Amino acid sequence: MIRILLVEDNELNRDMLSRRLQRKGYLVVTANDGNAALNLMREEQPAIVLLDMNLPIKDGWSVLDEAKEDPTIAHIPIIALTAHAMEEDRQRARVAGCNDYETKPIDLPLLLAKINKLTNNNAY
Amino acid sequence: MVELLTQLKPLFQTSRPLLSVLERADLEKLEITSERLLHLFKNAPQDDRQGLHKLRNLVGALRGYSELICEDFDRVKTPELLQHLQQLGKHSSEIDLSQPPHSESDEFDSDIQSHGVILAVDDTEENRDLLSRYLQRNHHEVITASSGQEALEILDTTPVDAILLDLIMPEMDGHEVLRRVKANEALRAIPVIVISGLQDTPEIIRCIEAGADDYLFKPFNAVLLQARIQAGLERKRWHDKEQAYREQLEKSQRFIRHTFGRYVSDEIVENLLEKPEGLKLGGDQREVTILMADIRSFTTICEQLDPGRVVKLLNIYLGAMSEIIIKHLGTIDEFIGDAILAIFGAPTSRQDDTERALKCALEMQQAITAINKANLLEDLPEISIGIAINTGSVIAGNIGSERRSKYGVVGHTVNLTARIEDHSRAGEILISESTLKTSKHNLSIGRSECVSVRGINEPLNIYQLLGFDDKSSSDTNL
Repeated sequence: MIRILLVEDNELNRDMLSRRLQRKGYLVVTANDGNAALNLMREEQPAIVLLDMNLPIKDGWSVLDEAKEDPTIAHIPIIALTAHAMEEDRQRARVAGCNDYETKPIDLPLLLAKINKLTNNNAY
Repeated sequence: MVELLTQLKPLFQTSRPLLSVLERADLEKLEITSERLLHLFKNAPQDDRQGLHKLRNLVGALRGYSELICEDFDRVKTPELLQHLQQLGKHSSEIDLSQPPHSESDEFDSDIQSHGVILAVDDTEENRDLLSRYLQRNHHEVITASSGQEALEILDTTPVDAILLDLIMPEMDGHEVLRRVKANEALRAIPVIVISGLQDTPEIIRCIEAGADDYLFKPFNAVLLQARIQAGLERKRWHDKEQAYREQLEKSQRFIRHTFGRYVSDEIVENLLEKPEGLKLGGDQREVTILMADIRSFTTICEQLDPGRVVKLLNIYLGAMSEIIIKHLGTIDEFIGDAILAIFGAPTSRQDDTERALKCALEMQQAITAINKANLLEDLPEISIGIAINTGSVIAGNIGSERRSKYGVVGHTVNLTARIEDHSRAGEILISESTLKTSKHNLSIGRSECVSVRGINEPLNIYQLLGFDDKSSSDTNL
């Protein structure tokens, strides 16, 4: 079963999205702040991370930087979730090492397609 | 968006009992999300970027939950809810997310313009589009129908606040739709605004006569359209309010009837409902016939039975007696333990007050046989009653204090009846001389006695009533 780490501080979105993903057959682990997210990445070695960029204390950008510098987890694909559709955000996410980028509100079929693509390519 | 959320609220309430615990939990989360979104709209944050973030999060949750619930509801328990959720999902995907929310509080709080669900019926697509656009601009929710048949189908399932109706349509035209709407009890109140292609006054008059509430000529003016819709919605709102008020009134009348109906005849209740001022204290002097009845040696029975069984016995007895008294249009003034005080002639006096009292007494005595049968089954003791009837003048009215009053009678006649009753034996009906004289029928009398009673100097003649002697009344259903 494919393990997804969902990092989201908004409890409604966390609850909703994790359940929708579980329903689609994924195993979902959740974290609600950046530090917990990094710890879980190391412990759980998820197949993919869905990372809300607007997190309290340690935001998504810092998580991304640290993750990409840690060789034990640097390979895990990350999809950035943000409420900002601005082009500069998208660029910034790419540069920081995000594999993909989704704007809230999440369109589930679209997100699923991206998850699918990234987890299948994970073999390399 | 805001309207939709507000509209959803009552739906949440009504659908809730139909759902399972889990579904309810989801719905509650959706509700929380809606609340927060409304709050966000009302109190837009200072920081645009933060506001946008919140908005997107909430809209995301809203959309996610509604889709989630929709997935669960494929068995469609509450089609209405499902429809609204789908709508919500659609709206939330269409909402403009490039702009942070600006406080809509002014618009939201001032509810001067009412919004409603408008059914626009027109066979031409351009007209439907135009109408939808005009109406949506004024924050109405629009449902369109392209034919009369479709309109009626929609009306069958969806609550609508107003109908915009094109007159000239193929197959079923506007006139026919209007006729059917106005002929339908459930739809009649919905305001119908007819749209006529031509400035055809006779046509419009025909519609108004058929129940149309307003009209518009094509090509219509957007401002005029909104004004007419507003007026229609206002009317509908008043009608709905009135309806709710009427229902409330009926409910409280039912309550009064139910509560008081146990103690007083329907007649008094009706009087109270029609003239609540009748509740004020005071009364008038009038001629009535009074009936008093009680169970012989009730004290002894009480001593032998446990309290619960005494009450059971009394309930059987008083229940049967009340029915008979009310049937004969008597007013039950009081139950005192096993004793019954009934009045014939108040609050409304009739020609045959005395006769009805006498018939009532005879029927009460007859009913004791049936009561004893019932008592036997319940392992309760047999009872017998004595009845006294007296005719005379009393003060009748609402007697008591402001805090507690009841319709009743007082006066010498009442006391005298009680004294006569003391002399009655088991199964007997004793009537006073005044009652005997007032009766327009010949009575069959058994024993008569001259007794002296407390409080009166002269001895009193009392007669045992056996039945009616003349044919005219002996064939009544005693």
